[in-house]
Amino acid sequence: MKIISKQDFDAFINALIQDESLDVEGVKAKGDKFVFGPLDSATELRLDYDVTILPPKKYYLPQYETMMHFDISTGKATAPAMDTKKVIVGVHPYDLIAIQQMDKYFFDTNVDDIYLQKRKNSLLIGVMPAKASEKAFYGDLMKDAGTPELHFDLMITDLGVLYAILPGTPEGAELLQRATSRDAQPQEIEAAKNKRQEAIDRATRGLKVGPKAWHSLLSNNYMSSVWKEMSDQCLACGSCTLVCPTCFCYDVNDEVGLDLNTGVRTRTWDGCLLRDFTKVAPGEIFREDIVERYRHRINRKGKYLPDAMGFVACVGCGRCSSACIPDIADPVNLINKLAEATMDTIPDANVGHVPEKSDLGIVASDSLYIPRTATIRRMMKLTKTETFFEIGLDDGQPLGHVPGQFVEVSIYGVGEAPISVSSPPGGNTFQIIVRNVGDLTNKLHSLSEGDKIGIRGPFGTGFDTEDMKGKNILFIGGGLGIVPMRSLIKYVLNNRADYGKVMILYGCKDPSELLFKDEIAQWENTPGVEMHRTVDTCAEGESWDGQVGVITTIMPMVTFDPLNTIAVVVGPPIMYRFVNRDLLNMGMPEENIIVSLERRMKCGVGKCGHCQINGIYVCKEGPVFNYKDIKDEPEAFQ
Amino acid sequence: MSKPKVAFFDFASCEGCQLQVVNLEEAILDVLALVDIVSFREAMKEHSDDYDIAIIEGSIARPIDIDRIKKIREQASILITIGACAHLGGVQRLGNQWDAEANKVEVYERHPGSEITKGDSNPYFAQIKHRAVSEIVKVDAAIPGCPIDSDEFGKVLVALLTGKKLPIPDYPVCVECKKNENICVFETGGFCMGPVARAGCGAPCPTHGGECEACRGYVDHPHTQAHAEVLKKYGLSPNEIMTKRTMYNYRDFEDKGGD
Ligand SMILES: Cc1cc2nc3c(=O)[nH]c(=O)nc-3n(C[C@H](O)[C@H](O)[C@H](O)COP(=O)(O)OP(=O)(O)OC[C@H]3O[C@@H](n4cnc5c(N)ncnc54)[C@H](O)[C@@H]3O)c2cc1C
Ligand code: SF4
Ligand code: SF4
Ligand code: SF4
Ligand code: SF4
Ligand code: SF4
Ligand code: FES
Repeated sequence: MKIISKQDFDAFINALIQDESLDVEGVKAKGDKFVFGPLDSATELRLDYDVTILPPKKYYLPQYETMMHFDISTGKATAPAMDTKKVIVGVHPYDLIAIQQMDKYFFDTNVDDIYLQKRKNSLLIGVMPAKASEKAFYGDLMKDAGTPELHFDLMITDLGVLYAILPGTPEGAELLQRATSRDAQPQEIEAAKNKRQEAIDRATRGLKVGPKAWHSLLSNNYMSSVWKEMSDQCLACGSCTLVCPTCFCYDVNDEVGLDLNTGVRTRTWDGCLLRDFTKVAPGEIFREDIVERYRHRINRKGKYLPDAMGFVACVGCGRCSSACIPDIADPVNLINKLAEATMDTIPDANVGHVPEKSDLGIVASDSLYIPRTATIRRMMKLTKTETFFEIGLDDGQPLGHVPGQFVEVSIYGVGEAPISVSSPPGGNTFQIIVRNVGDLTNKLHSLSEGDKIGIRGPFGTGFDTEDMKGKNILFIGGGLGIVPMRSLIKYVLNNRADYGKVMILYGCKDPSELLFKDEIAQWENTPGVEMHRTVDTCAEGESWDGQVGVITTIMPMVTFDPLNTIAVVVGPPIMYRFVNRDLLNMGMPEENIIVSLERRMKCGVGKCGHCQINGIYVCKEGPVFNYKDIKDEPEAFQ
Repeated sequence: MSKPKVAFFDFASCEGCQLQVVNLEEAILDVLALVDIVSFREAMKEHSDDYDIAIIEGSIARPIDIDRIKKIREQASILITIGACAHLGGVQRLGNQWDAEANKVEVYERHPGSEITKGDSNPYFAQIKHRAVSEIVKVDAAIPGCPIDSDEFGKVLVALLTGKKLPIPDYPVCVECKKNENICVFETGGFCMGPVARAGCGAPCPTHGGECEACRGYVDHPHTQAHAEVLKKYGLSPNEIMTKRTMYNYRDFEDKGGD
């Protein structure tokens, strides 16, 4: 630990500001509040602040961020130029914890290269809080979850006339060499420790259940009337998520200039309290009631992220409570209210609130977001609304997917959409079937053979074809559900000897919506394949030789040993409830039912947050799920 | 592809929205590369009745306006409205609290200076209840705001020309206000319509120390009740709440059966 006088500290900061290779950002006053912003001089810096309006997450996931520049005519995209290296001065420990959580989240599974680049290109100078905001409760959290090992480059503690500064990384130590300092004496080290304890003690507000037990408290109270009581006052303004240092959800938009050719793909903060957050093309909103959205936020903090990442995603900064005008967002108030009903909560020893120190040495493989260029090789209109596309990647590589996975189809200037791969694995091209329902899908339909599009993926988990070996397979497809299923059907038929009896049940609205007529005729005539089709309605005079009625009416037409059969069910949300009920009634064990679920998607790689079913990321952990694993998620089949 | 021909028309308005289009400055050249402007009183003398896209500013205030807007609709393949007057009826719609005839008498017969208009049966003086354009004819795109935002004007034009959905968000102004890191108006003793107002403007009013008046109308599903509770909690009387709400959104009040 080093000791530095306040004048020398100011000189140090001013020298950093003078250094053209650095962009020095720090805490400044804004009215009677504080914000992080560019520093013009050390005198602007307010290390005595309580809390900033927005957290420093804005430096790593900016409010509006360019992901790439594109040129529609050439079909090329380039990553934005690298910013000047940032030094961020005055970050409180709770915000450092939030950044560590963010690191863990954005580095998990698919490394977000845009985030990583910003993160590597910055230094964090922390400061022990000298004041706590009225709403802060990080003290309560740290008392329960332990005082953490923080990730910072330098940490400042105000000792009155002097600052104690502790380097946390070699880069921090190197930076500190620019300052005039001396080594700290034992009593100064002790004084700094006391300041830290004081800071923790100051920020306590009587939280009745510690973060380690939030999981248990929230699990017990999912159906509590408290949610509705609170959310009745909610404005659905999104403020509580926008100001939160541990809310990472974002939306993606393409913006085209007036030249109709060049533009940018940007991401911007989104939040689960907003109504559109889960809205999909036909207009369905998965979390339509405000109570569901209100409940989701707290559950994400106290239950879903602890499950997925091992940390409680609330650092006790109190920003959400300050930002919420009706004053219903405060986690302390809410947790205490829930605790009034149930006190028998069990702390989870495995949950902390600080992940291990971040590893910034991590390398991102490819750009997570810039698509590969591909060419439409073949197009065929299947019905009024669905078109078949055969696509080849321009690098000549096969897609390398397994049945059940999806790709993000990208058209610069329009956007992206998740689309299932409908062809079996193998070959240098792959096939998709697209219904035109909105911006991207309409544009796709207007293209021609030879046109270029972008492809990211394949993404998600597919069907476990190994596990299905030796078993009978019962395919139950509704509407577009046949599209991802076709990949698996073809795979199974190509590897016929590995599987038992194959039964295919396919239902759609009316005969005009039937997809793959020729292939279906083939399947019907394949020995060892039993196929039944049905339509919900058939107009007078329309030719149809299948059944009429919803899909469950044809289920009794097949006989099988439920214990040795895997049911693969893919269709619109409403279908699952009835089909799964009937399968279970037929004696099929839960783990023999495989479903593929659809939710709103933006990133496809587990970052943007749109596809969550409770705490499950459909794009990453799905879209294919074993019914047994997903059935207890209240939002899965509601 | 020949460039679509665009004509601007004004109804009851302050012409501030047309001015915002003029204010596009350099970008106006890019716009001119996309469309031919054949009629624009604010910026040019020529006028033509041969157009594909009609851009309408202002509310429908007189019987003759109704005929005029219907004729424009017949001619135009795309009709875009600009600004709160055309979109919602504007602040002038507050006049709908009174009888249209009484308003006419007040302005053209009783108001100081009305000696010369008194008793005149000029159709320009005839009054009806103020209406938004979409209450009379079909509107293909409404660019909200008082005045409109020049950037948004450009974005809507691009969306229409490339066949995309309009880039007008359905979340409240608070979202953009928070991204701007403002101190909330409620914390400084003010009252704000931001939680129910439709974003897209970038929250300029709270960003510059003002209150949002919801000049862009409401989001599709405003939490009006919860918002009223907040206004009450912060000290507004029911009358003051009504005044706040109706300033730009008397249309909403009327739509909900207020009158
Ligand atoms: C795993 C998965 C597989 C899918 N497979 C197919 C398929 O094989 N064929 C097909 O026609 N459709 C499929 N869909 C649905 C398809 O993604 C949507 O119809 C499409 O996103 C609509 O985009 P748009 O731009 O045309 O519509 P818009 O309404 O303009 O949508 C805007 C954006 O919202 C998101 N979005 C909207 N609707 C959906 C939705 N239903 N699901 C997910 N995100 C949505 C997308 O990011 C989209 O770009 C699939 C969806 C998922 C989640
Ligand atoms: S939930 Fe609230 S208190 Fe917790 S980290 Fe987010 S803003 Fe801070
Ligand atoms: S899902 Fe979230 S991270 Fe995303 S906005 Fe909600 S609580 Fe925050
Ligand atoms: S800040 Fe408050 S009112 Fe706004 S969405 Fe969050 S809980 Fe609801
Ligand atoms: S100032 Fe207005 S728009 Fe901004 S957060 Fe407060 S209520 Fe919302
Ligand atoms: S902040 Fe409110 S009043 Fe101001 S431009 Fe936006 S919608 Fe209109
Ligand atoms: S997290 Fe972005 S789509 Fe799943």
